[in-house]
Amino acid sequence: MKHYARTAPSVLHLFALVCALLLMVGSVTGQTGSGDSKSAQKFSSSSIQIEPTDPGDIPMPPEFRMAIYENLITQITKTGKFQHVYRSGDKDAASASDLVTLHTTARAFTKGSQKKREVTTVSGSTKMTLNVHITDHAGQPIVDREVDGKVRFLGENLRVTYDFSKKVAKIVSVTF
Amino acid sequence: MSTQNSTVNLDVPDAVNFLREARPRMSTRGIFVMFLMTLGSSLMFFSTPARGQALAESQSAPSVVQANVKLVIGGDTIKNNSEGTLSVIGNSLQFATAKTKVEVKASSIQDISTSEDSRQNITGAAHFATMAIPYGGGRVLSLFSHQVDVLTVEFKDDGGGYHGTVFVLPQGQAAPFKKQLVTMGAKASVPLAEPPATNK
Repeated sequence: MKHYARTAPSVLHLFALVCALLLMVGSVTGQTGSGDSKSAQKFSSSSIQIEPTDPGDIPMPPEFRMAIYENLITQITKTGKFQHVYRSGDKDAASASDLVTLHTTARAFTKGSQKKREVTTVSGSTKMTLNVHITDHAGQPIVDREVDGKVRFLGENLRVTYDFSKKVAKIVSVTF
Repeated sequence: MSTQNSTVNLDVPDAVNFLREARPRMSTRGIFVMFLMTLGSSLMFFSTPARGQALAESQSAPSVVQANVKLVIGGDTIKNNSEGTLSVIGNSLQFATAKTKVEVKASSIQDISTSEDSRQNITGAAHFATMAIPYGGGRVLSLFSHQVDVLTVEFKDDGGGYHGTVFVLPQGQAAPFKKQLVTMGAKASVPLAEPPATNK
């Protein structure tokens, strides 16, 4: 018993030490992670202008391009990060001094089939990938990344544009 | 009465007598002139409103109408996926629901395109309910679908802002709208004669 009584605290000490080390490591990595997220500079702007989607060389049907554009306007307005969300060509946008502009360019597009999706579950999904490019008033890039949209099982094909816009709105929320 | 008249006739100057004598000759001309004047006035007063009425009718009466059209996205004051009547009235495209309506001038349309797609026969809450059918019954119901036309309209508002609106119409109903709007001055990147691109 005495033997156990002597060894028990040492085991406990070791366990406590390991736990403390683990906690320290965790906190350090956590700080590093949060540091990364904080290092992603937050920009501030009162107004944004959304440009229509550039299909590039991708044969994207016009209804998808328009649905992306309209969904982007709706979703970015919903974020509440900007006082003004201007449409492309809006004359009032010229007066905004800190205007940022959102451009989207199609990189890949696969139009699936709602019937196939719902019958087979595994095929017929509609997917698209677009390059999201946000520039400041001087034309300097703020965001430049590829974002995808998917509709895998339920919903009409055009719902892919909603999925994409939600993701872009999330990026905008994080950036501004 | 007759004697009085005769006395008066005697007192009147020669010029008046001359006129009196001339009255029977004037009457035939007068009738003709009167006829012409009546005809002219009738044309003036009745034909102009008739022409105006025709113009008003042509402007107010829709040239292309389609009920049960779904506005998928892009109706500013109208909620997405609302059903209503799409029509071409005067020089503009109008979508009207029971509560409100939106109007787009043909001249402001930057591009108009049509395409084909398919839609499930069972949609909305009923569609979710079909998922509960055992032995894949819901999947079997998903096989029932119908072809539709998709009409995409890109236009600019008064402030220069760019808009896009997507309508879903019954099969074969989008082309007449495009044709009518293009005749009214709407721009279209894909010519009318070309059949709509099928993306199946």
